[in-house]
Amino acid sequence: MDKYEIPPDAESRLPSNDKVTGRAARFLLGRYKIWPIISHLLDKTVPHYRHSYWYNMGGILLFLFSVQVITGILLMIYYRPAEPWLSVQRIVMEVPFGNIIRSVHHWSANLMVLTIFLHMFSTFFMKAYRPPREFTWLTGLGLAALTLLFGFSGYLLPWDDLSFFATRVGISEIDKAPFIGGWLGDLARGGPDVTLDTIGRFYVLHVTVLPLLILGLISAHLLFIQIQGMSETDSFTALPPEKKKYSKFFSDYLFGEIPVWLALSALLIALAAAFPRELMPEADPFASAPEGIKPEWYFLSQFQLLKLFPGSIELLGLVILGLVPLSFLVLPFIDRSIPADSRGRVILKLGIVAVLGLTAFTIWGWLS
Amino acid sequence: MNYPVWDVPFLGGGLVVAIIAIIHILISHLAIGGGAFLFVAEFWAKKQSNGNLIREWLHRYTKYFLIYTTIFGAITGVGIWFSIQLANPEATSLLIHQFVFVWATEWVMFLGELTVLYLYFYGWGKNSQNMQILLAGAYFVIAWFSLFLINGILTFMLTPGGWSLTDTDIAAGFFNPGFLPSLFIRTLVMFILGGIFGIIVATRVKENGEFRKKIIYFCAKWVIPAAIIIPFLLLWFWTTLPDNAVTLVKGGTVGVAGGKLEAITRYFWLAIISGGLILISVIVAVIRPQAISTGGAIAIFLIAQFGIMGGEFFREMSRKPFVIYDTLYSNGLWKKNTADENYMKSSYLEKARWDTPVEPLSLHHGETIFRLQCVGCHTRDGYRSINTRTADWSGEFGYRWLSTMHETGVMPPFQGSDEDRAALSAYLISAHDKTTTAREILDSARKEETKDTLSVPAVPAENNGGAK
Repeated sequence: MDKYEIPPDAESRLPSNDKVTGRAARFLLGRYKIWPIISHLLDKTVPHYRHSYWYNMGGILLFLFSVQVITGILLMIYYRPAEPWLSVQRIVMEVPFGNIIRSVHHWSANLMVLTIFLHMFSTFFMKAYRPPREFTWLTGLGLAALTLLFGFSGYLLPWDDLSFFATRVGISEIDKAPFIGGWLGDLARGGPDVTLDTIGRFYVLHVTVLPLLILGLISAHLLFIQIQGMSETDSFTALPPEKKKYSKFFSDYLFGEIPVWLALSALLIALAAAFPRELMPEADPFASAPEGIKPEWYFLSQFQLLKLFPGSIELLGLVILGLVPLSFLVLPFIDRSIPADSRGRVILKLGIVAVLGLTAFTIWGWLS
Repeated sequence: MNYPVWDVPFLGGGLVVAIIAIIHILISHLAIGGGAFLFVAEFWAKKQSNGNLIREWLHRYTKYFLIYTTIFGAITGVGIWFSIQLANPEATSLLIHQFVFVWATEWVMFLGELTVLYLYFYGWGKNSQNMQILLAGAYFVIAWFSLFLINGILTFMLTPGGWSLTDTDIAAGFFNPGFLPSLFIRTLVMFILGGIFGIIVATRVKENGEFRKKIIYFCAKWVIPAAIIIPFLLLWFWTTLPDNAVTLVKGGTVGVAGGKLEAITRYFWLAIISGGLILISVIVAVIRPQAISTGGAIAIFLIAQFGIMGGEFFREMSRKPFVIYDTLYSNGLWKKNTADENYMKSSYLEKARWDTPVEPLSLHHGETIFRLQCVGCHTRDGYRSINTRTADWSGEFGYRWLSTMHETGVMPPFQGSDEDRAALSAYLISAHDKTTTAREILDSARKEETKDTLSVPAVPAENNGGAK
């Protein structure tokens, strides 16, 4: 039975052979020559300073995504795309703990979208998108887009009044896109109207296509981070060496994140207990939309912005709306200086405007 | 109806009490658990070789502890007093009159524990170590006794035991069936909180090696055993719950907001799961003491807040529809009056002391009934929304439902005349732009009743007396 020899520096860094972890590690390394990868991971550190808490955001997102996968799989056991509303009603009214699992799925989705914004803006303000981390930023933007798509596709699945009309209004915005809008809208709906065919498409998107895409992007995103290590802000880099503190990612930092994830779990159960997700009456495509129908909160800012450009100037609204993600996409290629130069500082200030604008439009959309 | 109604839009008076109380329970239980913690820690420090370092850490613990518990504990404690007498003056009056010396003694305990705590903290470095141990111990005993007293009153509300309005046996009411399990559970919860707070303070220690490990191991001993024992005590507490509450909890977590009180089951699970999460997180702290940050330790404390939210909501909901079980309903109706059909069916507004003159069968009539009889537990479109619950009602359905709502097990019987019922139903459906008037509802209902009476077939002559 040929085995590989354990590298000498591995012998010194691994736990001793009388520990289970030591024996398991040697078993693995004797069969797979992966010590360079493992030693690289063991060397990974996280800067320890006043902005360190923002580094938690990524882990929180991964945790919330895991909650979505687990609760989503449980919901899939009882959800029937051919009888969407009835199956959700059964989940909520009959299936033991169905009510809690559905509500946790709903709240975890909302928290995940909120955390995506926190993560995106914190990495923006820490300027973590600068070289060599351009593709970490770009894959992150892709992940944000996929998360919003997850939210949009999942929202329709209960097929109640709220989800039906919110989806119809949402896709009608896609129709407005020039040239391909109508075609894209029909593709999304499976026809000119939102029907059970739309459920078929959204369900497949939500449980198969988007999960495959997001798992791919998460893997790429995490791979880039593991290879390059954590980014450091200009303020941390400028510190004298003796003041620079680091903690080891495996396993000190990781263990430190666990209480935060557990507190998030408690928060999710508390939200599910206090604010269970309601099931409105079954969708009636022939009824008129409920008054004041609005999309979910994370689409409110875009919705409100588009409302400012009605009728003939709606194309202008779409262009302005499109400029926002475009500016995020090109960001790593226009703000490259480390430490930040004057262009970098201007971009930082524009970022503050963007956050304030996003918040203001969301609140405005909520109130109107 | 003997008192004015505290009509808080969206939240409702009861929820205001709940929010203040849930925050207070975390603080007050830490206040007592921390006392035990300090007492034992003082002994422990005496035996350690680096006792001085430990006592420095205890000093820091006491500083944060004193600020958090005395300031916020006092604010929220008084907040409870302020809000309960607004939310339910009838019940507050009963509790004060029955347990007046218990309340008085409790306040003496508050004064005592504050005094001793200040002597302990400000005497640091000046008092001898033995004096400090004595003060810490005295603080814990006095504080724990304040729990002992309030626990009697709180558990009395849910399980009055041998007490009744006719035989006001105070001792039986105080030492009621729920008293002991609740006392033990709360004491263990306090130990857990004292331990978690210790972990928070440990993360502020700059040294991150053997010393921090030692303190965190000490703190973990306050959490892990207690977290394992509490489920068994909960089983004991379970046996003392009213049958109604047990049935509702066993009903499961089905249903959406509105209708059944299945929220009670959800809060029950919140409490249990939070306890489990605290256990796991403290085990993580034991495995990697150097890894826990202040944020992480505060996160564990937050889990405890959610657990308390679950437990206290569960306890309160177990008591519905009563505020004093089997004695006083939450809306001011005394159980003893429900047997008197004349009383129950007579005009409600003639009995209510705090109403305004209304035009009979008007929307104002219905609104006044709603405010006086329903607002104790419901809001219009906020917490436990009545608008959500009556969305599908017709006036006639509402009129009939109100006469049988006590059969749900979570509602009091309706008190008032047929006119009151019709007026209330018309008011409730008016929120959904339904314009059936109270007069129409009443006429329709009376027509139905007459039809029912007329449709009873006459007994055939040959069956009369069995004569052939």
